[in-house]
Amino acid sequence: MSSATLAARGVSRFYAGRHAVAEASLDLRAGRIACLLGPSGCGKSTLLRLIAGLEPVDAGEISIGGVLMSAPGVVTPPEARGVGLVFQDFALFPHLSVADNIGFGLKTLPAEQRRERVAALLARFHLEALAGAWPHTLSGGEQQRVAIARALVRAPSVLLLDEPFSGLDGQLRAAVRTSALTDLRAAGAAVLIVTHDPQEALLMADDLVLMSAGRILQTGRPQDCYLRPVSLAAARLLGEAEDLPARIENGVAHTAFGAVPAPGMADGAGRVMVRPEALGFDPSGAPVEIVDIAFGGSFHSVTLSSQGVIMTARTVAPPPPVGTRTGVSLDPMRTAVYQGE
Amino acid sequence: MAITRLPGAARRRVAVLPWLAAFAGLAAILPLAGVVAAALFGETADIALRDIFRYAATSAWLALLVGLATAFLGSLAAWLVVMHRFPGRDLFAWALALPLAVPAFALAYAYADLFDVAGPLRMWLRAGPGFDLPFGMRGLGGAVFVLSCAFYPYVYLAMRAAFLNQSVNVLEAAKMLGCDGWRALYHVALPMARPALAAGVALAVMETLADYGAVQFLSVQTLTTGVVRAWSVYGSTVSAARFALPLLAVAALLLWIERRGRKGRTHEAGNARWRAVQVKPLAGARGLAATGFCLLLLVAGLLLPVGWLLVTGLNTSPDWPRLLLAASHSLGLGIAGALVTVALATMLALGTRRLPMAARIASLGYATPGAVMAIGLLASAGIVWNLLPGSGYVIGIMLLVYAYAARLMAAALEPIDAGLTRVTPSMLHAARMLGRTETGGALAVELPVARGAMFTAGLIVFIDVLKELPATLILRPFNFDTLAVSANNYALDERLEQAGAPSILIILLALPAVIWLTRKIALSRPGS
Repeated sequence: MSSATLAARGVSRFYAGRHAVAEASLDLRAGRIACLLGPSGCGKSTLLRLIAGLEPVDAGEISIGGVLMSAPGVVTPPEARGVGLVFQDFALFPHLSVADNIGFGLKTLPAEQRRERVAALLARFHLEALAGAWPHTLSGGEQQRVAIARALVRAPSVLLLDEPFSGLDGQLRAAVRTSALTDLRAAGAAVLIVTHDPQEALLMADDLVLMSAGRILQTGRPQDCYLRPVSLAAARLLGEAEDLPARIENGVAHTAFGAVPAPGMADGAGRVMVRPEALGFDPSGAPVEIVDIAFGGSFHSVTLSSQGVIMTARTVAPPPPVGTRTGVSLDPMRTAVYQGE
Repeated sequence: MAITRLPGAARRRVAVLPWLAAFAGLAAILPLAGVVAAALFGETADIALRDIFRYAATSAWLALLVGLATAFLGSLAAWLVVMHRFPGRDLFAWALALPLAVPAFALAYAYADLFDVAGPLRMWLRAGPGFDLPFGMRGLGGAVFVLSCAFYPYVYLAMRAAFLNQSVNVLEAAKMLGCDGWRALYHVALPMARPALAAGVALAVMETLADYGAVQFLSVQTLTTGVVRAWSVYGSTVSAARFALPLLAVAALLLWIERRGRKGRTHEAGNARWRAVQVKPLAGARGLAATGFCLLLLVAGLLLPVGWLLVTGLNTSPDWPRLLLAASHSLGLGIAGALVTVALATMLALGTRRLPMAARIASLGYATPGAVMAIGLLASAGIVWNLLPGSGYVIGIMLLVYAYAARLMAAALEPIDAGLTRVTPSMLHAARMLGRTETGGALAVELPVARGAMFTAGLIVFIDVLKELPATLILRPFNFDTLAVSANNYALDERLEQAGAPSILIILLALPAVIWLTRKIALSRPGS
């Protein structure tokens, strides 16, 4: 893998003595899309602003292309970093047309080159027809395309997007996301997208960064983060996860809903993270009773009871009726075992 | 990974904007400091403390009564126009603000003349119906009437905006709970609009305390007439400053009230989802009563006095060369004042994010009567005159423009600030991410966005400068007459028919600007 375009090492930021970002480290690579996922208020937007240079760091270092940009006492101003930023509200300038918004960052270029560059971006983002339009006349999806085109106009080596799809609704959101993804990859920059939507992060990310309470919990491929979360907190960031008490014996973790392998783990107490889709009906498996069923459209949500432990599972096939006693087993691929109480 | 440390990577840039804002704020506060210094450290004064108390008591009564009258008239007019439909309502909606184009002293001239013992109205009453009015305009009662006619638009505009901002949801909830229209006004709409009422009345009271031309003509002795008289009759800056000191204190108090009002306003508008108020038609006698009330306000504040000035003015041929010269002076000062004031206010607005104190200081200037401002400048101007002898004319004009700017900076700041709310913090950050410095971003984004608001601010200053009298009287170079000064000179000589022409010219110059402003206000709705 090529060396990182952007490297953050042990970055911290404090507000009134409390950390907003604590010892965060991450790498961004050219041509790859990283998603920073976390609940609102976890510090992910602050981390974005630290990378953009809109705020100074209190500890740690941020460098871009091997050049130090931020460290305690060192802040290269945002305008000198070669970083593009797409704001959550898009922040289009209301007094400038679409073309002038996109060309805003090219002040120093001769007029002719400026026109060419703007024309090229307008074409790439299918905005030619809207070149003279005012921002407030555009739809949300169009505004977003303008915002991304504007952020790319100075060919930044790093492009940051702050919740870029949160302002768009339902169907539009999925369509815009797909087309934006293509454009972002084509731009060749190292891209970091901040989002609080796990689905969005899983679908878009080449690299996923999980953040909670100011700390980065896990970094890795989306599949690894989803299926092999380092902790329950990390697991829950990406979707529903049941937390079952377990007893580890001879490399196997036993729960009320079946056993999963726990190779190399010492005997004793443990916890098993179970994704709701990890559970399958299996007459020869652990005995359970079905206590509740809810219809969720593409799935059924089934509440099961076994040895006084309750868990909720998801099945695609219609489950047996409430009150049925049956057996279940766990898919080891979609579970993770942690040692300790 | 190796990280190269570049020593020059973090150049410190000088933050220009806060410095400009600090400069503008300082410009506004300097004359006030001059007043305090002169009053506290000056030589002996010829004014007895007793006189200051007497004048202060009159000022207080005047302020109280005008405050009550404008609160009632302005609120009722706004409530009728916003919530009801009756004949002429769309016209009244903006025409009720037109008296802002009429200087208070012009109203005073017209009404004093109309209601004079030997005036046409009472002559006719005595000859015709055979009775006499038991009152005249010269005195406290007359001053209250005249100033209420002149200043009710401040309350009207504030309350109109507040009622328009109120969501119909709240009023409908009140109706569902059994409140009829009037009880909804008393129990819901009025309490919700109370911050706007306080702000509007505070403005009307500030103007009342600052007025010189009208009260002086109506023989009412207030602190402001005291300031001008101490300066013009006794030639004592120190005495004038002592009269000015209580005014300054009241200014600070009023400012505090007005600021508190403003704070409440934002919270009230942001609360509920906003839907346009549903207009209630007033049919028959009630509609006629509403039309009658609005018409009466308009007649009393604009049509009758201006008509009377026109009628009396027609009997004499004005001294055209002098009049036109004065008009050119007024126009020149108005434009220069507007340009300088808007420039300073823009500096304040751009720097205010980083230096909120500067804007607060500047608003103290707005609450300060022009006469006080002039005395404060005079106290410090002596130094300049001694340094540059023989440049009296130019310095006088510059001081005058400076006085206008120091006084009106806050009035200009308000629309510019409002215009700048269209620029979100993320837009400024976007400008920086796209290669602009902090200052460069302000120039490339904030300035063009605020252009319309700057024009509005300029018009507000222009109108106020045209009507300004006491500061102009005190600071103008020798023999330099504006329209307001020449109207005042004629009026002092009891040549009222002559005073009409310059007054009418002021109104004619101010009227297009006032119409432009009120139409703009009438068209604006929240959320658009």
